[in-house]
Amino acid sequence: MDGEAHKGTVSWEDGTLAPVDHLRSERADSPTPGLVEGTEPGAGQKSAMFVHAQSFEDLTAEAEDEVRREAELDKSGECAEGLKVLVGEKTIEEQHNNDITSESRTKEEDVTGEAWRSHRKHVFVLSEAGKPIYTRYGTEEALSSTTGVMMALVSFVEAEKNIIRSIHADGCKVVFLSKSPLVLVGVSRTCQSDKELLRELQYIYYQIVSLLTLTQLNHIFQHKQNYDLRRLLAGSEYLTDNLLHRLDRDPGLLLSAVTCLPLASSARDMVSSGLQAAKSKNLVFSILLAGDRLVTLVRKKDQFLHHIDLHLVFNLVGSSSSFREGEGWTPICLPKFNTAGFFHAHISYLEPASELCLILVSTDREDFFNMSDCKRRFLERLSKRSAYQALKEALKCPSYSVAQVGIPELRHFLYKSKSSGLYTSPEFPEVYQSDKEQERLMGLYQDLHSSLHHPSRPLRSFYRCSETENLLAWVTSGFELYLCFSPLGTKALAVSAVNKLLKWIRKEEDRLFILSPLTY
Amino acid sequence: MSTRKTSLTDKQAKNGTSKYVLERCASVNEYYDIAFKVMLLGDSSVGKTCALVRFKDGAFLGGNFISTVGIDFRNKVVDVDNLKVKLQIWDTAGQERFRSVTHAYYRDAQALLLLYDITSKLSFDNIRAWLTEIHEYAQKDVVIMLLGNKADMVADRVVKKEDGEKLAKEYGVPFMETSAKTGVNVELAFLAIAKELKHRATQQQNEPKFQIHDYIESQKHKSSCCGLM
Repeated sequence: MDGEAHKGTVSWEDGTLAPVDHLRSERADSPTPGLVEGTEPGAGQKSAMFVHAQSFEDLTAEAEDEVRREAELDKSGECAEGLKVLVGEKTIEEQHNNDITSESRTKEEDVTGEAWRSHRKHVFVLSEAGKPIYTRYGTEEALSSTTGVMMALVSFVEAEKNIIRSIHADGCKVVFLSKSPLVLVGVSRTCQSDKELLRELQYIYYQIVSLLTLTQLNHIFQHKQNYDLRRLLAGSEYLTDNLLHRLDRDPGLLLSAVTCLPLASSARDMVSSGLQAAKSKNLVFSILLAGDRLVTLVRKKDQFLHHIDLHLVFNLVGSSSSFREGEGWTPICLPKFNTAGFFHAHISYLEPASELCLILVSTDREDFFNMSDCKRRFLERLSKRSAYQALKEALKCPSYSVAQVGIPELRHFLYKSKSSGLYTSPEFPEVYQSDKEQERLMGLYQDLHSSLHHPSRPLRSFYRCSETENLLAWVTSGFELYLCFSPLGTKALAVSAVNKLLKWIRKEEDRLFILSPLTY
Repeated sequence: MSTRKTSLTDKQAKNGTSKYVLERCASVNEYYDIAFKVMLLGDSSVGKTCALVRFKDGAFLGGNFISTVGIDFRNKVVDVDNLKVKLQIWDTAGQERFRSVTHAYYRDAQALLLLYDITSKLSFDNIRAWLTEIHEYAQKDVVIMLLGNKADMVADRVVKKEDGEKLAKEYGVPFMETSAKTGVNVELAFLAIAKELKHRATQQQNEPKFQIHDYIESQKHKSSCCGLM
C-alpha cells in the first residue's frame, strides 16, 4: 500500500506534515476557506463519524422533554435485566462505601475554612431530597446543611412555577441545573458565562448517568427518595474530579470536538481497515486512542457516537491506570446514545508501555471473550503491516509546532471543522509552558467562545488586544477558529493570517483529520 | 487427563526444532500446557488488585487507592510439577454497581479467591453474603479459598485470625492470612489453587487426591519456620 513507502520519512523540519505524495491533491488545490459546511478543511469525505449536531447549542439548549422521551422509548430489555441485579438484590456493602469515600479521597478539607471558600470553582451534585452526592472540594458529609439550603432555593422558586437559573453576588456566580432526579450546582469566581458553567454541569450530569444509566437513577429515587447515591458511585469520584480538571484544560470539551493523532492518511486507513476487519456481531464501536488523541474510530453502520460520549470514554480511560496491564471489561452507558442501557467496553493497551489504547464497545455483557478475540485479530493483522511502525513513529511526535504554519506572529490556535466534529491545535509554545499560563490561555479561549455563542447576541468574529496577547475568533457555518497572536501584531496581520492558516490546514488535512471514516 | 497427554506430546514433537526454542523465548507468557480461570472477589478496597500485582509482578501498589473498573483480566503462567499452568485471573471491582457484570463471569471461573481485610470488620462480615452469591452463581465444584488480607497491619487488626479460621472451617474452605504489602502467603495462595486445579484436571484414577488443606498447612509452616516474611 501507499503508506509503506514513506513511513518515518515525514519531514517535520520544513514545516509540512504532509506525506510526499498527496493523495487528496484535488482537495488541496482549492484552498478557498470552506465557508459552507462540509467543504471546510478537515471535513470528512463520506459521512461524519459523530452525531451531527450544532454542538454547543445542542448541549446547552437541550430540552428536558427530549431526555424524558428518550428514557421512555429506549427501555431495552437488557438494561432492565441489569437493573434488577444492581438494584433489587440484597446488597452486601451497606454503610461500607461511606468509609471508602472518606478514606480514599485526599481532599479532606475543612468546609468552614477560608481556603475551601476561595476555590475558583465549586461543583456540587445533590439529590432532590437535598442529600449531597458529590462535591469537588471537601467531603460530602460535612456539606449536608449547605446542600439542604441549595435544594431549598430550588424548591422555593419551583413552588412559584418558576426555575432558578443563577444567582450573581459578590463576584460569585451560582448556577443551577435541575436534571431530575439530580440537581447540580456550580459556584464560580471565574468570568465564565452562565451558559459555559451550565455546559460544564451538563458534562458532570452525563458522567454520573454514564456510570449508572438514567433508568437506574430514576428507578432508585422513585423507590427511595432519600437514597444515598454515593453508595453506588463509590470509587468513581476520581472520574468526576478528572472530568472537571479536563473542563479547565482540554479544548476538545470547550469546542465539543475531538482531536486526532497526526498520522499519514495511508497509515490511518490501514489501521482503520484492520479494526473494520476485526468485527463481531455485537461490536458497535472500535476506538483507537493515543493518549487523548483519536487515531481512528470504526462504527457500526448507521450508529453514531456523540462527542460527549467519546469524551466520557476518554475520561474513563485517561483516569484509570488499571487498564495498563490486563484487559478491562466494564459496563458503560453512553448517555447521548441511550440513557437507558449499558454498553460493555473492552479496554486494553496494545502494548503495556504503549500509549495506544483500544476500546471495543459491545452491546452484550457476556461478550468479553469475543472482544478479546477481536483485539487479538486486530493486533495480529496490524503487527504484520508497516502501518504499525508508522503509527509508532507518529506517537513520538503526537503534536506539531505552530512554527510549521509559517506565520511568525501566530502563537497558538484552535481550529474546529464543524461537519466532522474534529479539531486541531498545535502544542503550546514557549510562553505558555506553565500550567498556570495554559489555563489562562484556555480561559481566554473560553471567553471568546462565550461571545461567539452568546445566547441572544452571538458574534461571527471577535478581535481583542491585550498586553499579553492579541486574540481573534471567527466562526462560519463550516468551522470555528481561535487564534492567539503576539501582542505586537496588528489586526490587519491577524486577518491575513487566517487565510494563510486555512490554506495550511487544507494542505495538511489528511494528516490532521480523519477524512474517510469507516464502518463495519 | 487427555488434555495433558496431547499437550505434552505437542511439546515433545516441537521440542527438537529451533523454531520452538525461539518462540518460547520470545513470549514466555504465551506458552502453557493447561489454562484455568481464577477470580478475585471481596468488598471494595480489601486489596484484591494489590494481591494480584504482588503475585504477578512481585511489587506492591502503594500510595493512593485506585479502584478497579469493572473486571480486569490478566494472565500468569506458573510451573506446577513441571507443567506450565496458565492462570487467567479476573480481578473484579468490589463496588456494588459492577455486581451484575461480575456475576456474568462467575460461572466461567474454576477457582475463587475470596478476600477480606483484617482491619475491616464489615469486609469480614460480608464474606457470608459473598459465599451465598458464589453458591448462587458459580460452578458447583468451584475451588474456593478464603484470604484475610493486610496481615501486616497488626496495629489496626479488628478480625482475629481464629475468626477467619472458624468461618473457613464452617464452609469447608481453605484459609490463610496474606499481605500484599510484604508478600506473605500471596504466592502460596495462587500456587495452591494452581496445584489443586492441575491435580483435578490431570488426576489418574489410582492417584491419591491432592489435599489442598494439607498442602497449605505444610507450606505455611515451612515458610514461617524459615523466618520468611
